[in-house]
Order: sequence, then C-alpha cells, then structure tokens
Amino acid sequence: MDGERVIRKFLVIDPEKCTGCRICELVCSFHHTKEFNPKRARIAVLRNEETGINIPMVCQQCEVPLCQEACPTGATHRDEKTGALLIDEEKCIGCRMCIYACPFGGPSIDPLTMMTIKCDLCGGEPRCVEYCPRRAVEYLKADKVGIMRKKISAGKVSKMITIALGV
Amino acid sequence: MKVTSMFSYKGYKGTYLRVNLSTSRIQKNALPESLARDYLGGTGFCAKVLWDEVGPGIGSLEPENRLIFATGPLTGAFFTPAGRFVIAAKSPLTGIWGESHSGGNWGPELKYAGYDFIIFQGKSEKLVYLYIDDECVELREAGHLWGKDTRETIKSIRDELSDDTIEVACIGPAGENMVRYGCIMVDFYRAAGRTGLGAVMGSKNLKAVAVHGTGSVEVADPERYMEVADYAFKKITTGAWGEVCESSLGMYGTPNLVSAVNAIGRLPTKNHWTGVFEAAEKIGPDILRENYRIARESCFTCGIQCKYISHVKRGPYKDTITGGPEFETIMALGSNCLNDDIEAIIHANQLCNLYGIDTISCGKTISFAMECYENKILSKEDADGVDLTWGNPEAITTLIHKIAKREGLGNILAEGVKRAAEVIGKGAERYAIHGKGMEVSGQDSRAQKSVGLTHAISCRGADHLRALSSLEELGFGKTIEKRFGKEKATDIQDLLSTTYKAQVVKDVEDLYAIVDSLLICKYGTMWPPVYYFDDLAILIPPLTGMKEYGDLKYLRLTAERICNLRRAFNIREGMTRKDDVLHPRFTKEPMPSGPAKGHVCHLESMLHEYYELREWDKATGLIPRRTLEKFGLGHVADQLESMEKLP
Repeated sequence: MDGERVIRKFLVIDPEKCTGCRICELVCSFHHTKEFNPKRARIAVLRNEETGINIPMVCQQCEVPLCQEACPTGATHRDEKTGALLIDEEKCIGCRMCIYACPFGGPSIDPLTMMTIKCDLCGGEPRCVEYCPRRAVEYLKADKVGIMRKKISAGKVSKMITIALGV
Repeated sequence: MKVTSMFSYKGYKGTYLRVNLSTSRIQKNALPESLARDYLGGTGFCAKVLWDEVGPGIGSLEPENRLIFATGPLTGAFFTPAGRFVIAAKSPLTGIWGESHSGGNWGPELKYAGYDFIIFQGKSEKLVYLYIDDECVELREAGHLWGKDTRETIKSIRDELSDDTIEVACIGPAGENMVRYGCIMVDFYRAAGRTGLGAVMGSKNLKAVAVHGTGSVEVADPERYMEVADYAFKKITTGAWGEVCESSLGMYGTPNLVSAVNAIGRLPTKNHWTGVFEAAEKIGPDILRENYRIARESCFTCGIQCKYISHVKRGPYKDTITGGPEFETIMALGSNCLNDDIEAIIHANQLCNLYGIDTISCGKTISFAMECYENKILSKEDADGVDLTWGNPEAITTLIHKIAKREGLGNILAEGVKRAAEVIGKGAERYAIHGKGMEVSGQDSRAQKSVGLTHAISCRGADHLRALSSLEELGFGKTIEKRFGKEKATDIQDLLSTTYKAQVVKDVEDLYAIVDSLLICKYGTMWPPVYYFDDLAILIPPLTGMKEYGDLKYLRLTAERICNLRRAFNIREGMTRKDDVLHPRFTKEPMPSGPAKGHVCHLESMLHEYYELREWDKATGLIPRRTLEKFGLGHVADQLESMEKLP
C-alpha cells in the first residue's frame, strides 16, 4: 500500500458458510450509528430457519451503478479510495430512486432517519468481515474473487478424480 | 422520528407490556428503575413479578397465573453468546417456580420492537395471538390456528401478516391440550422446553406471540462497550477457548456430550438405571455429523454456533427434517429408553418439536412407562395395545402422539411421571424419576456427586441449568484452580468426591443467576466456562451505565438476591428441606456399571454445607429474616413471617 492509495477489494459472500448469527448486521449498525439495530445495518442476512439456508446480502459496488444513474441529485458517488459507492448526506433527498434502481436490494431505508443507507465498505475495513465467525463474508482483491469459487469447484473435481482412479 | 426512551439506564427499552387476556386490555408501562438496578433483567425480573403477583392461592393453569416473556439488558446487543430470552410462570408440572429459556431471534426482536418484557394474565375467551409491530400491539383471532403444529403455526402467521421475518413464539397441540410439559417453540427449532410453560400458554388461550421491531438497543458507553464485546468475542472464538468451543460445540453441537458423559459413566440409560449405554456410539456425535447433519445454524449474535439441522433421507422415518437432536433429547428418547435407533430419535425429536413438547420430560415419561411395563405394573392392555418393551422405537413415537393428543395411556403420561405414578399406583413411584415433580435431566448424581446437589436444590425441580458445574465434569482444572484455589482443586476435580462441591454448586448457581438475567447462553458460561463474574463486571457498567455493577461484591449481591427470591417463591408454595431430595434411585440403588460402579449419591453433607453457605436454616431449609434482609428482601421476610414460613 502506498500512501492513501488502497487497492480495490470486493465483499464476497459464501452462503454455504453463513449460519445466520447476524453478527455482521450488529457490528455494521454499530459502526454506522453507535446503536445495535439490524434494521439500520447495511448488510442483511436473509434467513430461512427451517432449512438452515442463510444468505447475507450487501451492495456489490457495481461497475455500472444503476443507483448512481438513478440518483436525481448526484448524491451517489464513488469513493476513490475504496471504490465504494457512497451517498452524500448533504445532497440526498431520500427519494429512494436508488433503491428501486438496484437489482440486488443494496440500498435500504434507515427506519430511524427515514433516509437511504448503503454499504460504504467501512472506509476499507469492513466490520462484517472482521467479525464474521465463519468467514462467510470476505474482502478480496479482484483476482481472488473468481479464484475462491474456482478452488471450491476444483476441490470437488479433484475428489471425484481421486475416487475414479481409486488412489 | 421515533421518540428515544427516557429510561435512565441503557441496554433497556424502559417499557414493558401487560396484556390482560380476559379483558383484551393492553397496557404499556414504564419499567421501574429499581427493577433494573436490583434484578438486572431476565430471571431477575421474573422473580420479582412472580413474587409480587402470583401467590400460593393461584393454580398454575388458572387465569390469574402470570406468563412472562422477558429479555435482559444484553438482549439485542452484540455479545457472544447472548440474544436469549426467558419465559416464566408458576409451573403446572411442579406447582412451583417455572422458568425456561430460549435462543433464536425472538428475544432481540422484542427489544427492537421497544419492550423489555411482557406479562400475560387472565384467559382469553377465544384462541388468540399477540402481534407486536413496534408501537402497534394487538390481540388477533387465532381460531384458524387451533390444532396446528408449531411449524404450521409459524408459517400461517407469517403468511397472514405477509412478512416472513416476523419472529414467532408459539405452542403446538400439546400446549393447547395442557400437557403438563408442553413447551413453547421459537423460530421452528428453538424451545423454551422445561417446566410446562406451553400448558400455561394453552390455559390462557394464547397460541402465539409474533414480533416485528425496527428500534435500536443503545448502550451507555458505546466505545468502552465495544472494547469489552470485542474482548469477549475474541476470548470465545479464538485461542484456547476458541479451540475448545469449535472442537466440541462447533463441530458436533451438544451431541458431543453423548460420548463425553458416557465415558464418565453419567449418561442416563434405561430410566436412570445406569450411566453407561453400550450402544452410545450408534447415537453419538460422529454418526449424526456424518450421516444426518445438513446445515449448521446459529442463534442471534452467537459466535459458537452449536445448532444444526438433521435430515433423515430414507427408511421408515424418511423426510424427517428438524433442528437438533440436542444431547438431552438423544439421552431422553435414546439411551434412557434403551433406544439405539438414531433415525427414530431424530423423528421423535421432530414430533416433539411439532407438537410442542419438552423432549426431556417426554422421554423420561416414556422410559417410566417402559419400566412399569417391564415390572408388570402396566400391561399391554393398559398401554392401549402398544408394546412398551425397552428400546422399541415404534412405542416411543406412538406414545408421543398419544401424549400430545391426551389419548388413552397418553392422557395419564401427559401429567408427568409424578402424577402418572399416583394414578397408576402399584408402587409405580419407584420408577418415577423426578425432583420436585420435574423429570430429571440428563445427568446422574452417582457418577458426578455435585449433580446430586444441583438437582436437589434447583429452584425449578431436578434440572441442570440452574446450577450444574461442568468444571469437574469435563475437566477444566485450570479454571477450578483459578476460582477455588489450588488446595481445593484435587477434591473438586474428583467426580466421585462430595468435598467442596457445595461451594462449587453455590458459586455456579450465583453466576447463572446473573447469566440468566443479562441473558447469556450457558454455552460459554457453563460449558466451556469461559466467562466468570469478572468478565460480567466489566461488561455491565458500559452496557447499562450502572457503575456499581463494576464491583464484584455488588454483582454477587444481586445474584444472591435473585436466588433467594426464587427460593422464597417456592417456600411460599410450601417447599421445605423435605423437598430438596433426590429420587431413591440415586441415593439407595448403587450404580450397576461403569466408572461409578457401586456408588450412590450421599446428598446430606453437601446439602448441609450448601445451606450454611446460603445462610439458610439447616433443619427446615427456610430462609431466616437476617439473610433476606441482607439482600434487601425485608418485605419478603414480612410476608413469609405472616405465613409462618420463617425458621
């Protein structure tokens, strides 16, 4: 790392590892509001307690951000340091256009302030990653994102070959 | 914008609900500051409310009994492993103090909705459920939910309210039918299992409590609080403790105990006849993990994450999918019934969850029936044609259906072993393994002597969760030395010695009184024993702003106040020293096999020492006025004196 420049990284979710403890929601809301409130968190775990399938959902900081295009006041902008799409509180009018535009449900409404909130990558030190007990949320450089998935699949293929060869 | 609570202490919402089901009146009341200061939350709150409002004249299934759902100041904040809540009432199983805890997500949601606890009283004319959506609190018609199992109930309510994130605590048919050990299910697979609180809910015609909240939990000193929460999180998820947690609870969940306690000869087998189950491997942690576990789950804000879901994919129990089975369930419906069919255990677990029945009391009631059958006290005819031979998995599942529906023999067994033995007669009480009316949980005091005292003095009947020491059970030698000194360590570590065990049991009972009030899980406090008083003393001040709780003496004073008030509640119900006993199976029948072979539990010396440490009267078990006054319970002494219940 040289000076202020931070190498762009991405939040990568692995639902198979997520157990639905919601610690990410708590530490996220605390970092941003100094209160514990999952509904004020920028990350949300979609839970199905019956099947045990839990999927953490968070802004993907898209390369072609529809939220930014939809924003009528120019409040949504990219943080040069982290690449995160940020909402300028001074300019945001809480019109929710970004919420409607986003295909993933990245932004949401803060139930206390009624203004729009979204993940800002905690300025490059995402708390959800720091506290996830299962490493279901990771913060990875671009070249590592695909590799992680590839490794999981490769492991399965390798196991199959081992069985087939009887080694 | 929402109005921020003006309550002096943080961690609390400062408001509680009182719901009168007879009149449909719902009141929002301010939380008295003294309640938070003197009783912290959870079990402490419940002790104060039940003492004040439920006297000895009130029957447990009568409208005037109270049913309390309570959180603690830690509920909803980030702390591993907190996020729990407690339900309390006078118990229909024991007639005394009834209390049961649950994890899941319900407790935190109640806090986010804005309430510290709910008191239900009265009885609704029709079946209803309470729906809380932040400030909006209403009773809703639940006639269409009558007879529905807990899974259907949760799904129906979520469908009806068009929100699948609503947290629901509910009863199944067993609670509706007032099975005396009916439980309250939460988030599908979490249960407030013990003491029959589901029956109390059923007696009030209350099917469910559904909650949705969008508020926050604030702490007094955010920066310092996060430092402490971070320290605690690292202490329990990394390093030596992290390894202990992950290699046992994390990898296997509580079934890890099946092999661990079988090894020390303390796995209840054949209705507590012995403590060693020869087929333990067949119902053990490895087989569950390898063949049936499909997902790992976690309760709210927990880093240990011991929950998992099991799926039986083929065979007679095909398509069984349920949370657990936990250790106690495997023990009660497995080894204790000589049942080594793990798939049948998982299926029986699912049935209990769906009907809303406590698996421990249910399994123990079935093993009681099986021993009666073996000894010709119950015939096949008495059992409606069911073959109650030990280990018959079909008999187990059939009886669960019959108990939940109160059909035939099931109607008698639905009363619990104590009452069932009275109905059956013919000396059946010899096989009714209970303490104060509650079926004994999965320990055996002949193989771990401290358990004898734990069971005998537990305020909710023979059970482990109020005062079990895992210190010697699972060999935490260093922790023993740290808490009680090197000179006592050897005796304490000896499972078969009674020396110093009263001191250990009293100490953990006090610790758990705080744990159950802040609301932290027993995992991380009991097993493994990660947090102790000193950890809690640095936690409570930045959480609540009550600086006095930084003083260990003050903290222990509150712990003892809660323990004494729960005891006083039981004394007011007529309990004395004569009730602090163990079933003769543990005191008169020597352990027939295993490491504790030939042992019985000698309770007397431990009980004497315990009364001494508690400053209770050794002859009667009653609490002297000076002891009560020491904990600020002079008014309790006044009432007990007027009832001639002081020594």
